[in-house]
Amino acid sequence: MKITPKKHIYLLQLLLLFPIITQAQIEMRGSLSGKILDKNGSPVIGANLVLQPDMHQASTDKKGDFLFRDIIAGEYTIAVSNIGFKTYQNTILIEAAKNNTIKITLEEEENALQQVIVYGKETKVDNLLDIQRSAMPVTVITKETIAQMGSRRLDEILKEQTGIAVVNEIGGGARAVGVQMQGFGSDYVMILIDGQPMVGRNSGNFDLSRISVSNIERIEIIKGASSCLFGSEALGGAINIVTRHGAFQPQALASFRYGSLNIADATLEGETPFHHQRGSANISANYYRTDGFNTDPNFLSGGTTAPPYDDYTLQGRVRYRLTENGTLGASGRYALRKSFMKQIFGSNENQNSAGDSQDITDINLSVTYDHNFNNGLRSMSRYYLTRYVSDMSVLWEESGSQASAEKFAQTLHRFEQQFSYSATANLKFTGGLGGNVEQMDNRDFNVPGGLWSSFGYLQGDWKITDKFEAVGGVRYDHNSNYGGKFNPSLGLQYHVIPKLTLKLALGSGFKTPDYRQRYQVFMNPVANYLVIGTEVLRGTLEEMKNNGQISEVRDYLVNQLDKNLQAEKSLSFNGGFTYTPNKNIKLDVNAFYHTISNQINSIRVATGTNIRDIYTYQNLPKSFNTGIEMSASVKPLSGLDLSAGYQYLVAKDRGVMDSISKGTGAYASIRDNATGLFRKSKLSDYFGIENRSRHMANLRLAYNYSPWDLTANVRVNYRGKYGFVDNNNNRFLDQYDIFVDGHFLVNAGIEKKLMKQRLSIQLTADNIMDYTDRLMPGQPGRVVLLGLKYRFYKE
Amino acid sequence: MRKMKTILSKYNLLLVLLVSLVITSCSNNEDGDTSAGLEDGKSTVIRDLAGDTNGSMGEGVDGKTKKGFDTFLFRFSDKKQIWIRNAADSTQYLKTKDWDIAFTGPYNSEVYVNKGSYQYNPGYGGSATSAVVKIDNPYAEVTEAPSDQEFSASEINKIGWAFSDAANGWFFYSLDTHLMIPIKNRTYVIHLPDGKYAKLELINAYQGNPPTVTNLNWPAPYFTFRYFVQNDGSKNLKTK
Repeated sequence: MKITPKKHIYLLQLLLLFPIITQAQIEMRGSLSGKILDKNGSPVIGANLVLQPDMHQASTDKKGDFLFRDIIAGEYTIAVSNIGFKTYQNTILIEAAKNNTIKITLEEEENALQQVIVYGKETKVDNLLDIQRSAMPVTVITKETIAQMGSRRLDEILKEQTGIAVVNEIGGGARAVGVQMQGFGSDYVMILIDGQPMVGRNSGNFDLSRISVSNIERIEIIKGASSCLFGSEALGGAINIVTRHGAFQPQALASFRYGSLNIADATLEGETPFHHQRGSANISANYYRTDGFNTDPNFLSGGTTAPPYDDYTLQGRVRYRLTENGTLGASGRYALRKSFMKQIFGSNENQNSAGDSQDITDINLSVTYDHNFNNGLRSMSRYYLTRYVSDMSVLWEESGSQASAEKFAQTLHRFEQQFSYSATANLKFTGGLGGNVEQMDNRDFNVPGGLWSSFGYLQGDWKITDKFEAVGGVRYDHNSNYGGKFNPSLGLQYHVIPKLTLKLALGSGFKTPDYRQRYQVFMNPVANYLVIGTEVLRGTLEEMKNNGQISEVRDYLVNQLDKNLQAEKSLSFNGGFTYTPNKNIKLDVNAFYHTISNQINSIRVATGTNIRDIYTYQNLPKSFNTGIEMSASVKPLSGLDLSAGYQYLVAKDRGVMDSISKGTGAYASIRDNATGLFRKSKLSDYFGIENRSRHMANLRLAYNYSPWDLTANVRVNYRGKYGFVDNNNNRFLDQYDIFVDGHFLVNAGIEKKLMKQRLSIQLTADNIMDYTDRLMPGQPGRVVLLGLKYRFYKE
Repeated sequence: MRKMKTILSKYNLLLVLLVSLVITSCSNNEDGDTSAGLEDGKSTVIRDLAGDTNGSMGEGVDGKTKKGFDTFLFRFSDKKQIWIRNAADSTQYLKTKDWDIAFTGPYNSEVYVNKGSYQYNPGYGGSATSAVVKIDNPYAEVTEAPSDQEFSASEINKIGWAFSDAANGWFFYSLDTHLMIPIKNRTYVIHLPDGKYAKLELINAYQGNPPTVTNLNWPAPYFTFRYFVQNDGSKNLKTK
């Protein structure tokens, strides 16, 4: 069947259920066309143009020409951006019933490698907080980078970034996988979608493989305490996923990838403007499946260690300009995961097969109203709802016995009112007020009425002089149980010379204890232990005592811990410089020091007559993560990009260090498991916190040969050795414990575009060396995938 | 044109690099077969001896038959596993000299030698006078049983969870993961009920004897252990 372009655009409109409005107020409209040139007078191809406040978008063709049609007459701000050029901004008047023309010459950007800005700063369509102007260091991954990597899920993208690791937490079960950033565990990294928090964690771990990377515009990563922007949970940093929005012409994309482990990744995406560019809509549907992978064939005769799953995601975003100054936006995401993982241990009459199943439903909905007042004030009203439901169980098939089962649901409603105001061209303020209500329930606990909290913040962005810039702010969070928390941050940039910029940032973070740590009374019948939330500690113990279920209580601990769990806190310092000696070389160096205090950990408070161990939660003394992060990129030839990153990290617990120095209890001695001999432990024996590598590095080589529309890349990621588990019972990691070996993972991809870039064929290979380790149950061996992508659009 | 050529040759280089990477393959084996080094030609190696896999620690575990774990006895001479399921079994076996070690308690993880004089020993009241001494040395390097005085002075009864470095147990227990971590290179020398000397190494309670347990639900108890009984009655325990 031959599909004419007209036909499939019609199909697309039908598919997206857009109102098809053909005639409207043409007489009040005009058009804008023109040419974009560089300083030599050559056309700039593929430059992005945005007309604000309506977010009309266009790009230049091979002659540098562009055209905006049917624009409501009036005054607009035009922004033109392209990689390698400074973003151009100006005000223009579009007159009705006229073709207005303009010619723009772009200046070259000295820091030409910074491919961060694609649409300029005007992309804050439903969030006035400019995350890229956060005080803490920010890394941005663009959709071009994501497309080149050929990755399917968010975890695959992130684990190739400097200083980020994706880690399995054995204590949380086979499905507890989370991200680690500059030494902060997954508990302390907030995950956001379009600036709104995502929920649903497994023992504190947020499994990033839940998120498909199709339909992502860019990913913003903030390293370091960011509670000043996001409140509780952003104690160690935040990852914000910005989904695709805006459309300047109807287009659609279909892609399909298939390969190793029966991985299939199918995406259908469409976007279109409607009602004469007053509105835009984007929709995306993704299906992903994998067979999972067994990293431990010596001990698991069948099944997998990385779970197989089927994921379905439907995502959409609509924006419509209601009046000249007001725009209404809505976005939604619905994701579903069905996963069943079999794990077969032993054989014949001793065979034990675990059937581990998990179903996840994940919903995110938001509505925004954006209003520009005439006096320069902009307002954004946002409502957000998210709900996460997970149903997990592990069943032994031979005996029919259950190893564990948990059903868990979490709902969050948030309303927020944001304002931004530019006092002068060099001073801008963003502020906001909001409230949350959060509900959590599972079979063990549920707090009626939910947890209420409210917040307010003010951020400033001040260009003091041409050389000196400051960003900073404060945020106040009030929690119905925890009272108030005040978090400031400050970031300074000093452009010593245009090629060298010094940066300094300070910030604080906090995380309130969760429901589980406060109210849950959790019994694990398999391992026979009980964990009591601190708010109900004394009451529960007294009740058990009256029933004769307690043999011993450590009273001094109960007195100290009952109803006394403090919020976790952090302080972050970042300092470094960016050096760009010429337009093809860029070097970034940043040293960081983070301290975390009041970390929450479990402690044994009592022994039962039937139940062996009874635990509650306590705050630990300080721990710290410190290190240095470097990245460099070079463009030795046109089309060739070389970039490298390195992180050195020391992550230690001061409580452990004190206990080793003082020789307290188990910490006092160290056993050499090879000789069986014990000796006194020294501070230098302490390696650091589990799962943290001292050294991590990555190298990326990308080549783009544009005459052939061919791109290829090779990426090498190194993760230095890291501690897995204490093997000699002194409760800290020393050289005799179990470590995961340092290792290299090599990924590569090659892509060829055909038919005027409509069709692309991509071959990707992850973990080319087929490196696996049974201590990394989530890292599959070599995965080779072949993908086809087709774009539908009007010439 | 020349530039084009350089670019092409660079591209070829990339391709060669890619292909060579694809061909090589590697994998880390901390981990291969840990049981391989256990056989020494003299010792008896018991692999994956199932304990009471139907027992559970607490009540209300769906599908588990009962709370608690049935004790079983083990005799070195003919590798016989004797279950104590009921009162009749207790009467028939416990107070006899027909067993050498008993696996009791949670996950059958607490091991006793046959000693009738100790109140909490499964063989309490019986005539056996076994004794055990702990030696923190690799199994192969324990070549001689200690003196009889050392045996009679030994206060080791239950061999289970080693809370501290002074404890005599055979495994550590992680309070974070709730997994047992067997203590490497710890050997027990036993003066058996029949007067012979033996050495014992308790190696693992997890199925398949994995070097490190990587899954919270790893099946247990399945015991891997090895022992050597000196049948000539001497204290010579050389197995090399």
